[in-house]
Amino acid sequence: MAVATGGTRSLAAQERRFAFALLAPALLALLLVTTAPLVYLAWNSLNRIDLGMPWMSGFAGLDNYAKMGADPRFWNSLWLTLIYTASTVVLQVVVGLSLALLVLQIPKGQGVLRVGAILPIVLAPVVVGLFWRTLVLAPDVGLVDVATRALGLGSHNWLGDPQLALISVIAIHTWQWTPFAFLVLLATLSTLPGDIFEAARLDRAGAWQRFRYITLPMIRPAIVMVVIMRMMTALSAFAAIFAVTGGGPGSSTEILNLYAYRTSFTELNIGYGSSLAMVLLGITLAVSWLMFRLRKAKS
Amino acid sequence: MHHPESLTDAAQPGRRTALKQAASLGAVAIAGPWLATAAHAQDADLAPYRSAKINWRQVEGESIAVAVIPASYFDNLGALLPQFEALTGIKVRIEKVPPGQIRQKATLDLSSKTGTYGTHAADPMYYPLYVANKWVDPLDKYLGDASLTDPAWFKYDDILKAWRDADSIDGKPYGIPYDGEVTVQVYRKDLYDAKGLKPATTLDELVSNAKALNDPTNRMYGLALRGFAGAGQNMYIYPSLFRGFGGKWFTGKDVTVNSPEAVRALDWYVNTLTQYAPPAVRNWNWPDIADAFSQGTLGCYIDAHSSAAVLSNPEKSKVVGKVGFARWPKGPNGKCATSIWNWGFPINAALSDKAKKATWLFISWATSAETQARTSWKFAGPAKRSGINRTSLWKSPEFADAMKGSGDNFIAAALESLEQDTDVDWRPRVPQWPAIGETMATSIQSALVGQKKSKEALDEAQARIAQIMKG
Repeated sequence: MAVATGGTRSLAAQERRFAFALLAPALLALLLVTTAPLVYLAWNSLNRIDLGMPWMSGFAGLDNYAKMGADPRFWNSLWLTLIYTASTVVLQVVVGLSLALLVLQIPKGQGVLRVGAILPIVLAPVVVGLFWRTLVLAPDVGLVDVATRALGLGSHNWLGDPQLALISVIAIHTWQWTPFAFLVLLATLSTLPGDIFEAARLDRAGAWQRFRYITLPMIRPAIVMVVIMRMMTALSAFAAIFAVTGGGPGSSTEILNLYAYRTSFTELNIGYGSSLAMVLLGITLAVSWLMFRLRKAKS
Repeated sequence: MHHPESLTDAAQPGRRTALKQAASLGAVAIAGPWLATAAHAQDADLAPYRSAKINWRQVEGESIAVAVIPASYFDNLGALLPQFEALTGIKVRIEKVPPGQIRQKATLDLSSKTGTYGTHAADPMYYPLYVANKWVDPLDKYLGDASLTDPAWFKYDDILKAWRDADSIDGKPYGIPYDGEVTVQVYRKDLYDAKGLKPATTLDELVSNAKALNDPTNRMYGLALRGFAGAGQNMYIYPSLFRGFGGKWFTGKDVTVNSPEAVRALDWYVNTLTQYAPPAVRNWNWPDIADAFSQGTLGCYIDAHSSAAVLSNPEKSKVVGKVGFARWPKGPNGKCATSIWNWGFPINAALSDKAKKATWLFISWATSAETQARTSWKFAGPAKRSGINRTSLWKSPEFADAMKGSGDNFIAAALESLEQDTDVDWRPRVPQWPAIGETMATSIQSALVGQKKSKEALDEAQARIAQIMKG
């Protein structure tokens, strides 16, 4: 028996080894294309690499990180990242859930709506950005401007005014990604068993009570999942804002990601830019970890 | 590594004729429809170049890549490439990179020493950066090498001095200007004449002219200047104002951007655009401005002389024949300061010696008087270049003839500006320019959109620039 156990053990070990050998090429590729650049980024963030001042290059320890404390543009971008992420995620969940609840009431034609909802998601963010910039938000000829003028609200410089620009980029992100929340929540809602709601109705629970005490708790895991995924996308948003405002006017839509990009590739300060990117990475990791913990704890 | 043709060439020296034929076959494939004319005219085509006392075929079989922006002045050059290839046996691949990305692409190529581009259309403000990193070769050794340059034929000194200076560091040339521009005043001569206005000679007159014509209810605005954020947009206009107000970029070795003159210049920029420009101007670059002007909604704008090409196109412009040109108006310190903008060609230091020679031959061909003429008034297509690089050509009757449709006083205004108003210290020429330009652009925009007061915006820029420059 002891021999037999040893045999299965070595067999299992053999199998594991074989499995690993099969996985190795994929792991290696993954290591090369994700981990290696990440390590390189981390290393760069510890160096002073400013192409404008090559004579200053060298190991700098944590200088780049220390520098952030006194950099108002960093704090501004951090604050904007927070506003941008929080507002887009909340809007997506609220609008997506409302739409899903509404569509659930429609007896026919849900399929068409689902297909239609996918369209914004499959567009490249750059295309979305350019589309909004030239067709929707342009002064005089843009759809939104035409609408506000028709409603007597006057013409506005949607992307030229600091506050409107921030609202605009939030609206664009929400427009593109709400369908994701909508589709996931719609799918979850349609799997909820009807008998519970019937029972609740018999107990004279009102519509709000049914939503608050039955629907919400039951779709909670789906909502948390949507929030996690949307947060990660919002934190790393780049292309649409880049195409629409480039972070401007001034620095009023310059979220951390754009600031890191501008620092590295426009100002050519690769070292400081890398450390900004590392901070963004840290924030994304921390937020995701928190959310996952939250999900585990309650479910 | 990157030149398969040259390897073949070296391996089979006895088969030159066959290879030449192969090369010309390749040219045939590219030239296509023009083949018949090209073959006939070839010898006559190449004669003006062959009068140079250098061996154009010294590195035949080499191939190089050149990055340029998509613009008619480079398209014209691209159309003549079969002639260059017939002359030298060097293959040139032109890669078009949008202006917003060409600096980054070039910097990436230069800093990683991949040697992808033999040369590229370079922003003159980037030479300090290139030189500090030793990414490009000093060109004096190419200009001084009798086997590479025939000085009597090339006539380097005939190239406009302002642009030569802009592409040099400490007196050494690092790029040869191919095309460039000056900033001039473009105004509606018909409207000015009707109201008895004269083109402005001072900034005050510019404002009073704008005031006289400004009539927003009838979609008529007095003036427009680039307002969009960017080192090449609002930081293209502001430096001229800054210098005109008597601003100086340097206090000792430090860059200073928040002097009282700087604040006054920015206040002027903000106030003038707020009062007399279309509301969207803060998002506008020159094409938007030229479009608005050609639709007849602007009384005047100040921008590159080459933007006028849009205005004389009868298919797109409603103001053909109604356009006049004048120099930059003087600032309070009595100075006109126009841009020193030009697209020059440097040589990538990461290339092999052979490729460097090939690149130099390409540069001297492209910037020579003959090619400049052939891409301007001698060019067969509709777009005749107006940014030619040589004093003698600017003064030639053929050029005047080709440009006569542009408007009143076009050549005189541009040439006077080129000779008198150019200012090498138009912007701070330091290796950190990319960061400084970007910082200034962001601050200027926050003042233009009313997010911050001029003083506050410039103080912030100063703090950041001090941080950037800190050694």
